[in-house]
Amino acid sequence: MIWIWLHGLIHRRTPRMAAAAAGVAVAVALLACLGAFLAASKATMTARAASGMAVDWQVQVTGGTDPSPVLGAVRADPATRQALLVGFAQTTGLTYTGQTTQTTGSGAVLGLPDAYSRAFPGEIRTLTGSGTGVLLAQQTAANLHAGPGDTISVGRAGMAPARVRVDGVVDLPQADSLFQKVGAPPGSQPSAPPDNVLLLPQALWHQLFDPQARTRPDLVTTQIHIRRSHALPSDPAAAYTAITAAARNLEARTAGGAVVGNNLGAALDSARQDAAYAQILFLFLGLPGAVLAGLLTAAIAGAGATRRRREQALLRTRGASVRQVTRLAAVEAAVVGIAGSVVGLAGAALVGRVAFGSARFGATTATAVAWTAGAAVAGLVIAALTVLVPAHRDARATTVSAGRLTVGRTRAPGWSRYGLDFVLLAAAGAVFAVTGRNGYQLVLAPEGQPTISVSYWAFAGPALLWLGTGLLAWRLYDLLLGPGRRLVGAGLRPLAGGLSGTVAAGMARQRRLLARSIVLLALAVAFAASTATFNSTYRRQAEVDAWLTNGADVTVTESPGASVGPDQARRLAAVPGVKSVEPLQHRFAYVGSDLQDLYGVRPGTIRRATALQDAYFTGGTAEQLTHTLAVRPDSILVSAETVKDFQLRPGDLLNLRLQNGRTKQFTTVPFHYVGVVNEFPTAPKDSFFVANASYVAQKTGSATIGAFLVDTGGQHIASVAHRIRTLLGPTATVTDLATTRRVVGSSLTAVDLAGLTRVELTFALLLAAASGGLVLALGLAERRRTFAIATALGASRRQLRGFVSGEAAALAVGGLVAGAVIGALVSQMLVKVLTGVFDPPPSTPTVPWPYLTALGSITVATLAAVAAAAVRLARRPAVQVLREL
Amino acid sequence: MSLRDGAAARADGAPATPADGALVRCVNVARTFGTGPTAVVAVHDVSCTVPSGARVALMGPSGSGKSTLLHLIAGLDAPTGGTIAWPGLGAGPNGRPGPIGVIFQGPSLIPTLDVTENVALPLLFAGIPAQDAAARASAALDRVGIADLGPKLPEELSGGQAQRAAVARVIAGRPRLILADEPTGQLDHETGGHVISVLLTAAEELGAALIVTTHDAQIAARLPHRWTMRDGGLATRGAGPGDDRRP
Repeated sequence: MIWIWLHGLIHRRTPRMAAAAAGVAVAVALLACLGAFLAASKATMTARAASGMAVDWQVQVTGGTDPSPVLGAVRADPATRQALLVGFAQTTGLTYTGQTTQTTGSGAVLGLPDAYSRAFPGEIRTLTGSGTGVLLAQQTAANLHAGPGDTISVGRAGMAPARVRVDGVVDLPQADSLFQKVGAPPGSQPSAPPDNVLLLPQALWHQLFDPQARTRPDLVTTQIHIRRSHALPSDPAAAYTAITAAARNLEARTAGGAVVGNNLGAALDSARQDAAYAQILFLFLGLPGAVLAGLLTAAIAGAGATRRRREQALLRTRGASVRQVTRLAAVEAAVVGIAGSVVGLAGAALVGRVAFGSARFGATTATAVAWTAGAAVAGLVIAALTVLVPAHRDARATTVSAGRLTVGRTRAPGWSRYGLDFVLLAAAGAVFAVTGRNGYQLVLAPEGQPTISVSYWAFAGPALLWLGTGLLAWRLYDLLLGPGRRLVGAGLRPLAGGLSGTVAAGMARQRRLLARSIVLLALAVAFAASTATFNSTYRRQAEVDAWLTNGADVTVTESPGASVGPDQARRLAAVPGVKSVEPLQHRFAYVGSDLQDLYGVRPGTIRRATALQDAYFTGGTAEQLTHTLAVRPDSILVSAETVKDFQLRPGDLLNLRLQNGRTKQFTTVPFHYVGVVNEFPTAPKDSFFVANASYVAQKTGSATIGAFLVDTGGQHIASVAHRIRTLLGPTATVTDLATTRRVVGSSLTAVDLAGLTRVELTFALLLAAASGGLVLALGLAERRRTFAIATALGASRRQLRGFVSGEAAALAVGGLVAGAVIGALVSQMLVKVLTGVFDPPPSTPTVPWPYLTALGSITVATLAAVAAAAVRLARRPAVQVLREL
Repeated sequence: MSLRDGAAARADGAPATPADGALVRCVNVARTFGTGPTAVVAVHDVSCTVPSGARVALMGPSGSGKSTLLHLIAGLDAPTGGTIAWPGLGAGPNGRPGPIGVIFQGPSLIPTLDVTENVALPLLFAGIPAQDAAARASAALDRVGIADLGPKLPEELSGGQAQRAAVARVIAGRPRLILADEPTGQLDHETGGHVISVLLTAAEELGAALIVTTHDAQIAARLPHRWTMRDGGLATRGAGPGDDRRP
């Protein structure tokens, strides 16, 4: 009997079986694609974390230990690629006497072997002069007003100062980790690297500081800088565990003679946070799609429920038991589930290869098998839930005669009677409020802890909102199509003419099915809209991040110590392709004992060359605050941290110490605090000031410019940058937005979000089109008999079109309107909840109008095509159709 | 096949009945489904005339071509051979012959419309305003004795009630020819008898001709004329029991 039934299903119900299997396939493919996304992302994160490290480990030899055995132990480790000894000493201060004498506070002096730059190329970047020999860090050179060729004095505790000749000025991009306190407990690391840093050749360093090591051993230490093999597990969490264990192993092998500063471990620690974010993105962006595909399958199966009930009733009148009927449904579910899973996995492998460059569904074999099995099981579960469960329920709960009913005056569904939609919306609001209380922090990774906690709870907010608004839309459409059918009839008059009342009446009788179809379409549209909005907001913020880092299309940063005035702007403006040039002062200012960056801007023109978003400021919009800087030249914008540290209130006097251009002495300059600046182009992420450039120039006697922001109108950025480089030569650093965009890293840059969203947006379009088109097509197919009867009763083609297009229009308008509303609400909440993903956080979501227009157009076009096909099919001779059905 | 084969039009739009009283005239009509070796000849070489006011029971075994001939006479299907003309009916809307009411074998009410809406539907298709259509539908339901079932849905009706509703739908259209395809086939004998009574009364009141296909000899006996079909051909044509003649 099973084989006969199966044969009949496959040969007589081919389109419906194929459609249900397609729904399962979409869900399986989406889940498997997300597996591929996670696998690819995690592997990328691990690789980037490892490749971004200049020095993987800094092993500090503990006091009194001979470094040679430790170096031997390190080199004996097969994973060690490079291991060099580096000396660290503290200087009491550096002094340079030029026109005036400048003396710094205490600082660090490093002794580097000759091969250091080659072994660890990312640690030192030459800015000016030689890349070897005696090197001054950039800020130290600025503090001393010293440069290549100048001789400085190096203070040593309890000893006479030594004099050395500077060969070059360098930047230390990874100064934070370079000057870490190795072995310090989490949270006790220095807040910033030392301001004064001198790098010496190893021999010279030994000459200067070996004597001090004997008298003050507490001021001299030795480290071994190590580059390791980066053959690590592809999952950042596993890689973190592996590298941490290796570090501990070394510490154990050296019997306490060495402490490992695990830079690579720290980077992987950060990467596993990114991995956690990737997992969250999977939940937020992927799971709704899979749920939607499940709902679509349910709708496809549900569209044939009337026929199925009739067939079941027929089987039972012929003596089939409930168990036998259920068994037949189980066979149907198994065929749908298996076919859908196989097709879905094959599709996912193809999509994974195209979008992520990998057809695997996991970073390791175990995860690949788990994802494949999980996705396939999900497909089988969806098939069982949508095909088997309703059939079993009908077989058990309905009588034979009730099974033959097609429309029925059913009660409102349970969720509607109990107000589940309102409960879900209230719960969504509550969860959102609770999540907002901790600043939407979804990933918590305590420094140095092996465990990482992800607040999956926050996912409940948008999920509940999605479901709650979906059910509310269902309730509203049920009301509109039922009690409000006169209104619907009036709306359908342009399509159905004199039949509009009858069409509305027909829709009212099947409003449960129609409202469900509308809601399914609405949820699909909302999913697509919210995913696209998230994606475009993320892209815009990544662009903003690049803008903040680079400052403008092209940025010319003057070398430390260079004295370039604003007149240089005219020279740059003459370069072909340059639209405008904005000079930006860059100074260092002391507030109390803190040294912070200060940017002097021309308030009237700063926004010509760089985009200032309102989100960068607190206490006013970008326009308002730059206007304040213009009308009150002594006003200043301060970082929130400084406002908090110094208990500032708007209008407060803020005395800063700035270096005078003529005397080179730090002098007090009064400002008045007017607002908070959170972000500013070219500024660091921590504390800084923004002030009026004219005022700063007047008070310091110097109009020296630190950088020029060049606007190219977004055109030919690379070529303009090249022309400027050619014009200025090595005197200044020229960076462009295109390069920065590739290099700059918000925490999630490592996540291949582009691939994910490409897949997501394609699936979303597919689901929206399928939710509308497929459900309408199947619904209309079920009513072929109705259309045949209508034709036999004298309905013209136009009148039939009125019936069909009325339903299609209700579906399209209802689905798109509800989808737009739900999508807008969910997008707002999604962007808010995922604040941590964005860098910097957006002030408002970015609406992707082209995608949304395409989404609406494709949905409407699909529905129109289905309606047109249904009308064409309805023209078949009525008696022929009636004979077939 | 000509739809305008007849005399001048009547006041209601249908042409006046021609002198010989023929509403429908079939000449050597044939209907074959499919082509080649799998082709099925459902009707062949049928010639007949349906006169105004006729009461005909179309009999014959299953597959003899009764329903196909009925559909051809109704204009729902086109013959593959011969001609059909409706000299006494003229052309109705949508290129089909004039006022013919068809009662189908099996359920033919639209499940999403209530009984009144179902009965009014052909009137709406004919362009009658909704209010007038509803009034005529109510009157037709009243005439077949199920006025109280107007707000019910088809699935809430018994088989007999559904067929009465189908009869009401035909009556509401005020046809001059009623074609009923096995209207009692799915009903018990008593209910079937009631349905036939309703049909005969309606045909009488409307002055319409009535053709009923049936297997049931008792049902056929209530109609004064009987045609018998066998293997797609019209075998006999009679005017009462024992009065069968070759067509």
